[in-house]
Amino acid sequence: MKALGAWIEDRLGLGPVAAFLAKKEVPCHRHTILYYTGSSILLFLGIQIVTGVLLALYYQPTLAEANASVVRIMTEMPLGWLVRSVHSWSATFMIALVFAHLLGIAFTKAYRKPREATWLTGVLLLGSSLAFGFTGYLLPWDELSLAATKVGTNLPKALPVIGTWLTQVMRAGDDVTGDTITRFFIVHVSVLPLALLAILGVHIFLVQRHGMSAPLEAERDKIKLPWLPFWPNFLLREAGVWFVLLGVLLTVAVFLAPGVGPQADLMAPAPEGIKPEWYFLFMFQTLKLFPARILGLNGELIAMLVMMAGMAAVLFLPFIDDRPFERKGKVITGLAWAGLAYAIGMSIWSLM
Amino acid sequence: MESDVSRRRRAIAAAGLLLLGALVASGWLEARVQESPQASLKPAAAAPEQDKPAAPRPAKERMAVYVILAWVWLSIAVLLAFLRLRVREADRVHRMGLHRAGDGPPGAPGH
Repeated sequence: MKALGAWIEDRLGLGPVAAFLAKKEVPCHRHTILYYTGSSILLFLGIQIVTGVLLALYYQPTLAEANASVVRIMTEMPLGWLVRSVHSWSATFMIALVFAHLLGIAFTKAYRKPREATWLTGVLLLGSSLAFGFTGYLLPWDELSLAATKVGTNLPKALPVIGTWLTQVMRAGDDVTGDTITRFFIVHVSVLPLALLAILGVHIFLVQRHGMSAPLEAERDKIKLPWLPFWPNFLLREAGVWFVLLGVLLTVAVFLAPGVGPQADLMAPAPEGIKPEWYFLFMFQTLKLFPARILGLNGELIAMLVMMAGMAAVLFLPFIDDRPFERKGKVITGLAWAGLAYAIGMSIWSLM
Repeated sequence: MESDVSRRRRAIAAAGLLLLGALVASGWLEARVQESPQASLKPAAAAPEQDKPAAPRPAKERMAVYVILAWVWLSIAVLLAFLRLRVREADRVHRMGLHRAGDGPPGAPGH
């Protein structure tokens, strides 16, 4: 065993990584629970990759076969329905944890210097996760997925100059067709995973480079916090969290397996009461509230611009909130709470 | 110290008994499924206007999944119990200040 370890060490030179892990410290405070969200996201990402590969073995991204192949996966493949259910639920769990991770970092202001780039890559990872959800939603090719994709890909059209072109690029044409399925599938299984893994690599490197952040008050008052060694104390605790999450995921996947609707009909009108996935609900409701014209301008365009400004504000939050200890920092925290309350309120309204 | 050891032994014995019980129960449930008529393995027709069936219709597969799920939770319970012991031990070593001396991950200096 020792000889095998030496052989591996000679080839891969993992000694410095192991030495780094042996020295890594995790601060203990009342927000320590937030540290578990990061590794749990990685756990669900791993499950997504494994179940996604299994589904891709049988899924056929064509107009004639997309819906039928999903039905086949669910009814004919051994445990195919469970693999699809685990894929779907782990996506939901992952996105919920990405939101929790980002909100935790935002409210503890862990994005402050020198972790601005870590925040930027984190927000890009949230964007990639949402893009995964959006592209994956079309793949079963049922009535709901067609209608939701039509609405989603129609949004950029409101933008001047590039709007129509952007919609055409997303749809692979003027309308959502079989070509859109193929395009979404390629983006879902190759473009987005490559982008996500690249950004994730940078994100993890930055997290290791700067270490775990301490709470704002501890830094301000220069309090030396108690800490735990990452190896093995923290990693063992994380393993416990992973096991419980795995159990919860499997239980939910077994008892609440998603169905698949009838094959989408390109000529049929959109079904009533269409709703996107839960993480897009607040945007969907916001768009519904905007009138068609505001002061003579296109209401949809204004809604798009407001949402884009909100996204830019979230992306560049560390640079906007550059004085977290002062009054400006407190005002931004208040605005962040208001934004969160708005998103939750709009989502609930949309569901009612 | 001695009571700690006996408590651990009791916990491990209880987990073992639970696993054994689950094994017997799962075997009995599977045997019942195998006795069920072949007709029940056919997918049930979905009601019109409803989504296609998401849950598996073959009774054997459904029962197997429930048994697997029960096993998963039992395994998790046992693993958590072991992890708890390891965490306590690691915390004790940390409190004593011994963690720096050769308790790093495999490959770390001093390991």
